[in-house]
Amino acid sequence: MEWKHKHLLGIDQLSGEEIKILLEKGNQYRNWLEQSPKKLTRLSGYYLINLFFEASTRTRVSFEMAGKLLGMEVVNFTNELSSLNKGESFRDTVRTLARMKADALVIRHRSSGIPLYISQFLPFHIINAGDGMREHPTQALLDLLTMKRDGIDFTRNTVAIIGDILHSRVARSLSIGLKKLGSQIIFSGPPTLIPKGIEVLEGQVIYPVEEAIRQANVVYLLRIQKERQEAGFFPSTKEYSHFFGLKENLKNTNNGRWKKIMHPGPVNRGLEIDSSLVEKESSLIEEQVSCGLAIRMAVLETLILGGVNG
Amino acid sequence: MNKLLIKNGTVILPQKDRTIEADVLIDDGVIVQIEPGINDGKAEVINASGCLVGPGFINIHVHFREPGEEKKEDLLSGSRAAVKGGFTSVLCMPNTRPPIDSPLVISYLLSRAREIGLVNVFLTAAISLGLEGKAMTDVGLLKNAGAIALSDDGKCVKDSRLLYRLMTYSKYFHIPIILHEEDTDIAGEGQANEGKMAFKMGYRSLPKVAEDSIIARDLVLAHSTEAPVHFTHLSTAMSVKLIEWFQGQGVKVSSDVTPHHLLLDDQSILQYGNQAKVKPPLRDQTDIIALKEGIQRGVIKILASDHAPHTHEDKEGDFNEAAFGISNLEIAVPLYVKALIEDGIINWLDFWKLLSFNPAQFLGLTKKGSLEAGMDADITILDPDTHHEVKVNEFVSKGRNCPFDGWKLKGWPVATIVNGKIMMRPS
Repeated sequence: MEWKHKHLLGIDQLSGEEIKILLEKGNQYRNWLEQSPKKLTRLSGYYLINLFFEASTRTRVSFEMAGKLLGMEVVNFTNELSSLNKGESFRDTVRTLARMKADALVIRHRSSGIPLYISQFLPFHIINAGDGMREHPTQALLDLLTMKRDGIDFTRNTVAIIGDILHSRVARSLSIGLKKLGSQIIFSGPPTLIPKGIEVLEGQVIYPVEEAIRQANVVYLLRIQKERQEAGFFPSTKEYSHFFGLKENLKNTNNGRWKKIMHPGPVNRGLEIDSSLVEKESSLIEEQVSCGLAIRMAVLETLILGGVNG
Repeated sequence: MNKLLIKNGTVILPQKDRTIEADVLIDDGVIVQIEPGINDGKAEVINASGCLVGPGFINIHVHFREPGEEKKEDLLSGSRAAVKGGFTSVLCMPNTRPPIDSPLVISYLLSRAREIGLVNVFLTAAISLGLEGKAMTDVGLLKNAGAIALSDDGKCVKDSRLLYRLMTYSKYFHIPIILHEEDTDIAGEGQANEGKMAFKMGYRSLPKVAEDSIIARDLVLAHSTEAPVHFTHLSTAMSVKLIEWFQGQGVKVSSDVTPHHLLLDDQSILQYGNQAKVKPPLRDQTDIIALKEGIQRGVIKILASDHAPHTHEDKEGDFNEAAFGISNLEIAVPLYVKALIEDGIINWLDFWKLLSFNPAQFLGLTKKGSLEAGMDADITILDPDTHHEVKVNEFVSKGRNCPFDGWKLKGWPVATIVNGKIMMRPS
């Protein structure tokens, strides 16, 4: 099947079928990752620029490894090294990069809509690695791949997304993806972080958190940032963990079986999730990281080779 | 013997909107039967003939000053004043020292109150840490510790963002917010109602607009967040108008008044001096009329009292330096009788709704505020024909700061029954 998108700007632009193609390819790569040594040459000679204006370790490393495993050359460009600190405008920085003649550009930026903006004048494949509070499509894809590999049938799947929905691009991308695959979504958390307008994600807001969890088979916890407390969205980390954090006593079971736990990382142990649950059998948190690598390989290959090599 | 039988009274049933001639049987702290002609050989009998028997009065605004200012009042003296005043439950405001802003203070006070055991003492937790108006308290943990409402009373929550977040956040915990409304930028160091009297006397003024403008802001916030918001000690005609308009828009806001704002106007400063210094300040006759009409029309649904005891030292001397506040817990009921029953503003059934049923509903006290089998046996018996003179030097409250000394009032509580125990007996 021909892949019709030049960029991956968001999950919103993909159809359910297109998501499934990426998941299938990601699944193959996830299996392939188990072998050693591993080196492919499918994308050798192609250049990838990692352009991160916002702190990130796991996503940047994940893209870097994904590119290298496919034989790409990878150049990392972080905010600290950039000419932006010397007063160059963002547009000029990006236009300078454009002359570098790379093939694909992975970008993370604190401002919502930047990937779309630069895709209008940069000659590369643009991959959104997180833009402000809007989208983080590869996160959503890796989450979906993790669920798929865990044997979850998307049409009989209810995911409770708990925590800071308001500021979360992960919540937006994941919800859009889940909906396109036929799953149900529940949101819960402090009402200050469950925004007006959330109905665009077609989920259900359920309070309290205990009830939201009771109705779900996957519990997806969002990272809580300290500055949200400073901005007055909730009073203290003590209160947050007590009422909104996932704990053993939250009746996290389904007919005696533990519900699946997911988290985009990095985890604040003892805040959004009790430390003992992070490594629990039903926790998919570590597997999410491996699936992240596999799905990014699938994305790079599909965008650059146009999906022909399915 | 745990049984108690109240005979021959006129029983007020606010939940059914009617009164009946009946007896009330109580067993082990719970109401078990309300019917005419009950006989029970094992029960202690109270003769309530000629009296009104209704669910215990609930005062949602008192300052018991503990911990930290026990010279003014403490849980014991405050509880005694409540019993004498016919109140079976009180809601204490959090502006103590330290303030009620931590679970520790709450559990300390609740265990003290249980030890004393005279009335049901409920606690309001602070909205902001240290009542500083900056950071939200641990609303959920405070509720778990026993707080049943939130307030920064004594101070206005000036920071709009804090209040907006709080109204949104606290909905998760179903806990009402009680607001003391006063724009401190406008009120400044004001001492008395803005107008002729303050001007003539040379006192800095507390304009009505300081109250009205903040109430307007908070009505809009309540409208947007749908939080259960309550405005305490209303004092102006405009605030009643604003609340009524928003209630008409479907906004669930409630409010209360104090007896002194219904009985005294700003001219009272001439007669009573420092004893009439209070926040909000005593306003003028147009406000008094508007507040009474607001009660009559059901805009104002609760009668509280803002019982604010102070020491003699805090209240004497320079008007500008004297503390704000009036001690009134033990006379609030006959004061309301004077302001509302004698003036024909409301009837006794409404009176009981405003002092018991509505406060219980507002605070979510499902076992209080009405009389029927299964409810807590909190009962106030009131004799509408009793006359007494207010003698402030006989107050059981430590606070003797009260302008009503020497007033002759009619319609006093004669018995207070709390959880089936007679705390005040008919003489």
